[in-house]
Amino acid sequence: MGEENKSSLIKPDLEAYVEHLKSESCRPVIEDSAGPISRMKLSDTILKLCQANSLWPMTFGIACCAIEMMGTGMARFDISRYGSEVFRPSPRQSDLMIVAGTVNKKLAPVLLTLYEQMPSPKWVIALGNCAISGGPFKVKGNYNVIEGVDKLIPVDVYVPGCPPRPEGLLEGILKLQEKIAGVRHPLPQNRHPGSPLRKVKGLKLK
Amino acid sequence: MLESDFQKKNRFFLNMGPQHPSTHGVLLIVLEMSGEYVLDPQPVLGFVHRMHEKMAESRPCVGFMPNTARMDYVCALPYNHGYVSLIERKAGIEVPERAEYIRVITSELNRVASHLLWLGAYLLDLGAFTPILYGFDDREHILDILEDITGSRLTYCYYRFGGVSRDIDDKFVASTRAFIKRLRERFVIYEKLVTKNIIFIKRTENIGVVSPDMALRYGMTGPNLRGSGIAYDVRKNEPYSVYPEFDFEIPVGSQGDCLDRYMVRIREMEQSLRIIEQALDRLPEGPVRAKVPKNIKLSPGDCNFAVEAARGELSYYLVGDGTSTPYRLKVRVPSYSNLSCLPELGRGILLPDLVSILGSFDLVIPEMDR
Amino acid sequence: MAPETKNFKEDILFHEFNTTETDYDQRGYHLEVALEVNQVRKFAQKAYDEGFYLVFVTGFHVLSEETAEGTTSGLNGVYQFARYDRLYRIKGHVSVPEDMSLPSICDIYQGANWHERETRDLYGINFEGHPNLKPLLLSDEDRDFHPLLKEEKKLKSLEAVSWAPEALESVDADAKAPSADSIDS
Repeated sequence: MGEENKSSLIKPDLEAYVEHLKSESCRPVIEDSAGPISRMKLSDTILKLCQANSLWPMTFGIACCAIEMMGTGMARFDISRYGSEVFRPSPRQSDLMIVAGTVNKKLAPVLLTLYEQMPSPKWVIALGNCAISGGPFKVKGNYNVIEGVDKLIPVDVYVPGCPPRPEGLLEGILKLQEKIAGVRHPLPQNRHPGSPLRKVKGLKLK
Repeated sequence: MLESDFQKKNRFFLNMGPQHPSTHGVLLIVLEMSGEYVLDPQPVLGFVHRMHEKMAESRPCVGFMPNTARMDYVCALPYNHGYVSLIERKAGIEVPERAEYIRVITSELNRVASHLLWLGAYLLDLGAFTPILYGFDDREHILDILEDITGSRLTYCYYRFGGVSRDIDDKFVASTRAFIKRLRERFVIYEKLVTKNIIFIKRTENIGVVSPDMALRYGMTGPNLRGSGIAYDVRKNEPYSVYPEFDFEIPVGSQGDCLDRYMVRIREMEQSLRIIEQALDRLPEGPVRAKVPKNIKLSPGDCNFAVEAARGELSYYLVGDGTSTPYRLKVRVPSYSNLSCLPELGRGILLPDLVSILGSFDLVIPEMDR
Repeated sequence: MAPETKNFKEDILFHEFNTTETDYDQRGYHLEVALEVNQVRKFAQKAYDEGFYLVFVTGFHVLSEETAEGTTSGLNGVYQFARYDRLYRIKGHVSVPEDMSLPSICDIYQGANWHERETRDLYGINFEGHPNLKPLLLSDEDRDFHPLLKEEKKLKSLEAVSWAPEALESVDADAKAPSADSIDS
């Protein structure tokens, strides 16, 4: 009875499971990024600034980091001054997915379904050690925890911590804004010395 | 429940979750619906199963401490408390009195923080956005106080076998007293904003009535049980630490509906403030940590320890085998038993009432999945 | 302030089972009951009639051994009950036979529904009479992977993880486990 039930014989193979999930999902949407929406430099710059200024996150709090994400949205840390005024529950209305918590085998298809439902352009922040690499659950006998959400979907910003402070998440949002628009906290555009709008010829700014 | 012929022929299944703003975590409830009425709610767990019990068997008992905080992260210190007290009971370690008082003060502060978060989240489910802002504001004060001595905001690992890791200072005592004074004034605001609000009363009165017999068959504990009229609290029934020295009451409800569970939690916060005040007045001097061996050997045999977490009775059951690694560690979490009554309780109710019931149970899903 | 713990011995009894009184300060419960497989339901029914609530149902894995009735499977089921009105905790344990099945107590205590599903997930114990023995914590494809079963080399015998008989007799404070001066190894 002990021989047949040795854990090593039928231990779930997590890598094979992740590969199987990725092969079944809509690969082009996950692997290729959406190109620029318009081909004109000025409108592209303005669109990027608008996107960076109003990232709407989707509520995908899983575990402990979700409480810090809620705390960031509340009155003391106030994520809405950086544009993320509303946390949308529906993936169709959001463009930022903050994966806050541990992703495990049962939750991985759910994550992929939600990611595929989000319209492009979309970004992902991996919040906390569990979403970056499995965190404290990356142990020798691991049979359930996916070690890092970037095995499933492309991640733009990693925010380490267990759990990270709300200021850490705010820094992650600012870094993402820098990645999108080239400058942290683009608003107010016309007063920021590093704003790319200043380099556009003929645009009168105060 | 009125069911027309059309609805009878067109029953359908609705998935509530796992990603849902009102399920307080990743919980999937498969609802068989007939129109707006729920016929049979079946919860599906396992989306945050993180192998805590397996991890306990593969490392020395001291290595499990971080896991205790991650099971219920909203109210992590009672989980710490239960685990260190279990090992202390097994190995026969005496804890200095000052450490016991510090443990009680920090656990009760954490309980208040947990109830404040519950209050905000419950009212957010019912549609009110303001109380969560107030609740989180008060909670941030507690988190500041606890961060000064423990070092973390959320997942504390502050207790050690034989005491606590750091002593508290005068700044902690002064800021806790100031916070208690502030929170008592804020309770008046909550009373006016929430408790006397007619919409809130209509959405919670006579909804989700749990009878005492149902509570016994499912093993419910905590404020959910006390709302039904049974005055069972581990701090009074099975006292541990220095709780026998404090004078506090156990609030009970009468009917077992959502409004009773809400009132029990509000009054529990006030009782926790009483305990903290008495503990601060009587705080003795002395060491905060006993001398313990580096490698605590757990003698063969089993041992049980129960504490009162914010959600109910939490017990740890340990089977030792003579080494320092537990042979088997079972964590009995309160939300698991509290939610298991949903298939019986939620039969034939309206869907918005189901949201109200789930919120009043105060569930934390990762502790259920462990 | 502390509840009376002495009165329970006179009125609530489990005489028909193989019970041992235990030292609460050492073990955390008052009564230990060694059950046979056919006594599990009677024990649960008696506990319900006396007004106990179900704390948990779980299991643990030890070496299988040869007994008079046959080879055991090495798995043990543990049931714990407690009371709301006074301090009284009881623990029952049963050795699972080779066919890996135990009777289910779901019709007496509905809360055992989820506890038994989880024990089946983690250990593979089959509960007869359970209405819905689907996986609870693990995904459907992992239903036969019982994670808490131990490997051969880590298994110990039931005696190695039970209290030594001397510890049961000495219930005073003198018989405590190693003191704080022991050398770490």
